[in-house]
Amino acid sequence: MMLEINGLVKKYKDFTLNCSMKVERGCITGLVGENGAGKSTAFKAVLGLISYDSGDITLMGKLPSELREAEKEKIGVTLAESGFSGYLKVKDIVPVMAAMYPGFDRERFLNLCRKFSIPQDKYIKEFSTGMKAKLKVLAAVTHNADFLLLDEPTTGMDVTARESILDLFREYMEEDEGRSILISSHISSDLEGLCDDIYIIHEGKIILHEDMDNLLNEYGLIKADDEQYARLDKEHILSVRRTPFGYECLTDQKGYYRENYPDIVVENGSLDEAITMMTGGERL
Amino acid sequence: MKIIINNSSMVPIYEQIMDQIKAQITAGGLKENDVLPSVRTLAKELKISALTVKKAYDNLEQEGYTVTVHGKGTYVAATNTERMREEQRREVETDLDNAVQKGRRCGLTDEEIREIFELIMED
Repeated sequence: MMLEINGLVKKYKDFTLNCSMKVERGCITGLVGENGAGKSTAFKAVLGLISYDSGDITLMGKLPSELREAEKEKIGVTLAESGFSGYLKVKDIVPVMAAMYPGFDRERFLNLCRKFSIPQDKYIKEFSTGMKAKLKVLAAVTHNADFLLLDEPTTGMDVTARESILDLFREYMEEDEGRSILISSHISSDLEGLCDDIYIIHEGKIILHEDMDNLLNEYGLIKADDEQYARLDKEHILSVRRTPFGYECLTDQKGYYRENYPDIVVENGSLDEAITMMTGGERL
Repeated sequence: MKIIINNSSMVPIYEQIMDQIKAQITAGGLKENDVLPSVRTLAKELKISALTVKKAYDNLEQEGYTVTVHGKGTYVAATNTERMREEQRREVETDLDNAVQKGRRCGLTDEEIREIFELIMED
């Protein structure tokens, strides 16, 4: 197990995070939710950047506060609201990275900077949002970490850049099967093609945990009019939402409904549907 | 190894992977002891979850098409021609069965269906 969070509670004046989750070795785990759902709070608690009220966090087999320097170097991080100083250039941060991380692969970092068109001789404050985001990711993946904690790493990137960055994560996992990634995003399609399992967080609570394979293959969206809805077996319905034409229902067994109700529309599920239905619908 | 995933298909992705690997084994494109890409590599290339690939590989192994050596990889198993023929035979049977059903639905007599069959076999 790379990371285990058990009953973590962090209370703010108007918000409470209360979550449990796991990241297994060799897995890419996704955390998805609306803005303010508690994703970043969870990341910060794991990294020991904020205190919390109760619960246990085990990171690489230890309490985060017990991790030694050499173990912390094995964690690669990108946080939503932090980055390199704007008064530095890429060529200035290379020695900083090398001093902080003995595993820093300078050549690879510089090659990737070239590949992702990040200038070495320009002040970071002059970078576009997307360039700053890319730079953070490149720094996180080039110091031979075993675990990447990535909070909204693709924010501000255009679609092509996002796809190449996601490929970079896939390559990172391919290089060593013991590695893990915990990644948050509010762009569902990013996570659908990347993650092995996914947690949906809403108002500080985990409302769904599912293997991505299951979610994409077994989940479905049933679209029924009032009459159809009335005779629908509700056994495998997770959530229901009223629509102008009747009801939309999220199921985790679309095959069952396709077989038994051939006249009712059952669409393939997607992460977006799961999120909107689980957060906006009425849970059964 | 070429695999094409159709994300809007009703066929689950792990089945699409299985079908295409089986077809390549049957057609001889993949031979005994050929090594399949690692789970992570295929997941990367197809942009899908590693668990989906693992499910496909596990099922292929259960059906005897591949052998997984822990820590080494997944290999194409010795071709079991008898089993493969059995499977192909079943497929032909299903197709023929469908044709007969269709004939009956259209109101053809069994005799007429047999005539069509004989006619096709003569070609």
